[in-house]
Amino acid sequence: MSLIKERSIDRATQETLKKAKKENIPTCWDRLDAQQPQCGFGLLGLCCTVCNMGPCRIDPFGEGAAAGVCGANADTIAARNLARKIATGASAHSDHGRDVAHAASLVTKVHSHPESHPEGHRHHHDYEILDIGKLKLLAAEFGIDTAKPEEQIARELSKKLLEEFGRQEGELVFTKRAPLKRREIWKKLGITPRGIDREVVELLHTTTMGVDNDYKNIIATGMRCALSDGWGGSMIATDVQDVILGSPEPVRGKVNLGVLKEDQVNIVVHGHEPILSEMAVKASRDPELLKLAKDKGAEGINLAGICCTANEVLMRHGIAVAGNFLQQELAIVTGAVEVMMVDVQCIMPALHEVAACFHTKLITTNSKARFPGVSHVEFTPEKAYETAKQIIRVGVENFSNRKKDRVNIPKEEMDLVAGFTKEVVAQMLGGKYRGTYRPLNEAIISGRIRGLAGVVGCNNPKQTHDFAHTELVKELIKKDVLVLQTGCSAIACAKQGLLLPEAAAQYAGNGLREICDAVGIPPVLHLGSCVDNSRILTAASHIISEGGLGEDLSDIPAAGCAPEWMSEKAITIGFYFVASGVYTVFGASPFAVLGSKNLTHYLTHDIEEIVGGRFDFADTPVKMAELMIAHIDKKRKALNLKPVI
Amino acid sequence: MKQILIIGNSAAGISCAEAIREYDQTSKIVMLSDEDTPSYYRCLISYYLAGDVKKNNLMYKPQKFYSDKNIELVLNKKVIRVNTKKNRVSCEDKSQYDYDILVIASGARAHIPDIKGVRKKSVFVFRSLKDIKEIESLLPITKTACVLGGGLVGIKAAYALRRRNVEVKVLVKSNQILSQVLDAEAASLVQKRLEENGIEILLGQDADEIIGEGDIRAVKITSGKIFGCSLVVLGKGVEPAVDCVEESDIKVNYGIVGNEFLQSSVPNVFTAGDVCESLDICRGKNAVNAIWPVAVEQGRCAGLNISGHATVYPGSFGMNSTDFFGLPVVSLGLHRIEKDDQGLEECKVFDAAQGTYKKIIIRGDRIVGAIFVGAIGSSGIFTRLIKEQVDISSLRDKLLEDSFGYPDISGLIQEKEQSYV
Amino acid sequence: MKKKFVYKVDKCLGCKSCEIACAVAHSTSGDLFNAVNEFDALSPRKKVYASSGKNYPVSCKQCDEPQCVSACMSGALAVDPKEKNVLYDETRCVGCWMCVMACPYGAIKPDKKSKKTVRCDQCKDKDEPQCLKACPTKAILWTSS
Repeated sequence: MSLIKERSIDRATQETLKKAKKENIPTCWDRLDAQQPQCGFGLLGLCCTVCNMGPCRIDPFGEGAAAGVCGANADTIAARNLARKIATGASAHSDHGRDVAHAASLVTKVHSHPESHPEGHRHHHDYEILDIGKLKLLAAEFGIDTAKPEEQIARELSKKLLEEFGRQEGELVFTKRAPLKRREIWKKLGITPRGIDREVVELLHTTTMGVDNDYKNIIATGMRCALSDGWGGSMIATDVQDVILGSPEPVRGKVNLGVLKEDQVNIVVHGHEPILSEMAVKASRDPELLKLAKDKGAEGINLAGICCTANEVLMRHGIAVAGNFLQQELAIVTGAVEVMMVDVQCIMPALHEVAACFHTKLITTNSKARFPGVSHVEFTPEKAYETAKQIIRVGVENFSNRKKDRVNIPKEEMDLVAGFTKEVVAQMLGGKYRGTYRPLNEAIISGRIRGLAGVVGCNNPKQTHDFAHTELVKELIKKDVLVLQTGCSAIACAKQGLLLPEAAAQYAGNGLREICDAVGIPPVLHLGSCVDNSRILTAASHIISEGGLGEDLSDIPAAGCAPEWMSEKAITIGFYFVASGVYTVFGASPFAVLGSKNLTHYLTHDIEEIVGGRFDFADTPVKMAELMIAHIDKKRKALNLKPVI
Repeated sequence: MKQILIIGNSAAGISCAEAIREYDQTSKIVMLSDEDTPSYYRCLISYYLAGDVKKNNLMYKPQKFYSDKNIELVLNKKVIRVNTKKNRVSCEDKSQYDYDILVIASGARAHIPDIKGVRKKSVFVFRSLKDIKEIESLLPITKTACVLGGGLVGIKAAYALRRRNVEVKVLVKSNQILSQVLDAEAASLVQKRLEENGIEILLGQDADEIIGEGDIRAVKITSGKIFGCSLVVLGKGVEPAVDCVEESDIKVNYGIVGNEFLQSSVPNVFTAGDVCESLDICRGKNAVNAIWPVAVEQGRCAGLNISGHATVYPGSFGMNSTDFFGLPVVSLGLHRIEKDDQGLEECKVFDAAQGTYKKIIIRGDRIVGAIFVGAIGSSGIFTRLIKEQVDISSLRDKLLEDSFGYPDISGLIQEKEQSYV
Repeated sequence: MKKKFVYKVDKCLGCKSCEIACAVAHSTSGDLFNAVNEFDALSPRKKVYASSGKNYPVSCKQCDEPQCVSACMSGALAVDPKEKNVLYDETRCVGCWMCVMACPYGAIKPDKKSKKTVRCDQCKDKDEPQCLKACPTKAILWTSS
């Protein structure tokens, strides 16, 4: 993919790629070219490096080795490889959840509403309980007496949540949010997750040399682990972040590299955990730093985000989004970034090299994610504000090192509306004080809305950047499918203007447009970061309990898709969706399982009999949309719903 | 102008003419064929009968080949006498051709056994395109056929007839099929495959009489049993076509004896192909190896020597490869150790699950024979090890492994050109 | 001008990417994920052998005196009069395996499914052999000298 227009559909990306090329700065696209061809054994899942008798490879054409040294065949090897990715993805989300659950124990002061405390009067050193209602609802789920003082509730809740990680027996508390029928399926299959850490450990155990050789059983264990993420780690991360950082509400924001400002200190936050970047938002408004910025000749301090950290601060504060996963290097290439502070996940190791070509200071903040030769400012929740301030100060002081002649910020930026949580959707449709999913269910039942689609996930340079996301979403809303988005997929569509209420008039089918116009929502709803995929699960559970659309999550006319996925986390998300009964399509290139015909057939066909959901792999957005709509229509038919208007 | 006369217009004769023309554009080359068709791929006749090959793909060298190379081809010329004193050959039709250099590449002819009724109509040999066309013309009225002989020719004939939905019985005198190229183990694998595909094989049986008046009705076997059939194919082996030199002073043993330059005992007479008896590397003595690749090689070697490029013929050995209903089989050199063979040893691997069999026969540290059934991918390397008589003492344990390949022998052989640096 | 493969043995890591690229290049679909389902058409024409701790990719060497052509009794193989490389007319192959038996490098494979031999054609329909592109360490050279 040497042509820039084949690399991305996004103009800002194209322009900055040209700059990178001119300045001879390699990006992931160049590295992808250098990696060609990528190993076919790896792509097909037929390379096993589990033990030291290997590495072993199975000949996909059936002429050479049919088994590894230990005797593992293609099915076992591909299943084990996949299972390990599930475990890693679950670990990433759940470890994030753990940190957030821990932060909840540190709240010292309660605010009834953030707006009641004007800037400058806040106690910056603390995390605060910003959504008391949600705190109490969560406490009730865990059997905590909600009459207690709120700080105490938060501490007790934190303890209970942390116990979910080390739980050995029983069921994760949040699994009770799922419809009864779904929980019975899990119970029957023995895949109800018990403890978050346990499921990861057990899954890894089964994949070591000489343990589980039954690919179906490996996948079952994998599903249990994935469920411990979706209905455990991720859900904890989402809900506790809402409590201590504030539940998002619809908010306007801006997106794309054009949000970087030529006359301001640009601080880019990148990664996934918002508990530090939240403090960076506050610190960027610190009068002392603002004054310092003026002294350095900057008009102000501009905070912008990349990836899911961006989504978190966007959802809660309307902080601008500089770009999605494939734009992380490009943000630096603009030459206008003083500091890029990173936490965990999806941070390309290449950033160090790219930053070294500019004045940009890359700063790591999490002891789990360090780069050799990169300055590290360790973040602890106890000293979060100080840490944030220290990092932003580095950025402000770095402003004078910016080389003006090397700055080229693309002008592209787009407005968007984000902040649609499951609660917000209920309130918008049902009313602020009696939030309900009834109108949404009615819209689906009546056929104004065909169904729901979750379009989520990463970018992958193997596919034209943002193309599959946006084309798929356009296809879906044209066919009256309400699209729920998270992560880099949401950012992709935001850049193309799909996250604006106006997009309904331009792209949506008649039925969906009618609903969007009536309620004033975009046809594509931004639900947050990738841990916020858990919001889709709870929203779906509410839809079932509202009635009229079946008894189980798998009855809803809905489908999921990760069109440009790259991360192991995407696989885990895919598995907790499928194990929750959702039909899920993966784009980019398929899971590394195609070398095992049995496993591939199991994941794309037979598993549906067992859990109600299954996978499909497709390589074009049109094909993805066809598959998803066909599934949605199949479910509508099963529910005897009216045809789509 | 020198006149070079070549008797025979198949693999050996043609490759001889081609080799001569590489260096000699001026001598006159005349080729005499006793057949009425231009040259064709003789080995394809069974495939043609089976329906695997279309007629237009049988053609070996088109007329253009002869005109381009300035070669005169004369068909329907059966040479019956060679006069080495007068340097002249005589044909059945009384015509005569003079030569300065003669190449006898007259090939082989089918052996006709001495069986009662063997001259009847509907009894065929399986040698020329003419035979096959005659058999083919009878197929519409042929339901059952009997093949006499379990050698390669007989089995290939049986295969072809079976493919044309004829019920086939093969009478094999010895207690295994393909006894000239395979050992008992390999033969039983092939036999099983043939039987699975509907060919009936009777071991230890020979025909006693071919019964019928006008048309054939049945074959009576030595046990006294009688089988009904309307077509008989003789697969009782071939013999060098040496009739034309019988009265001459050209030395004939079993075939025409060729020396290291493939010259016969008469210096201006060369020999090549199925009629030629020359050094057999594996047997360590002269033998006739009547196979296509040897014919091509010998023809070329004779041609080079005729054109003045002295080339020593390194010797040949039996090489046969074929495929029976999806079962590939290769046989190289010696195929079994006879009782009186001294100093031979054999190693073999039989994989019942895969249905594969490999065997090698070693004399000292040199391979002199090999059989591959089912897995023949590495057989070419063994051909080379035999041909170049490579000392394989360092390879013994690897030879029959599935992973054995060219790199294992690359250190033991000389290459003109290095592919690995 | 005839081109031949030369392999830098020390650079070959035995990843077999050349084998896969070869099979895919000769598949109907031309892409890996679909090619794995094409049982009938697939057979890599290159194979990497390990010997004495080193790896050797083996495929047709385009011999100057090709034994396979002498052995071919069906007319499927011929030497191109101009380029001097071996031409293979698959439609004329009858699956007699004579060339397999004759190849001194074991570089020709019988494909039992198609009953024809498969051999390196240097990706004649493409700009260059795909194994060349596939080699991650550039251990495969394709030269005319």
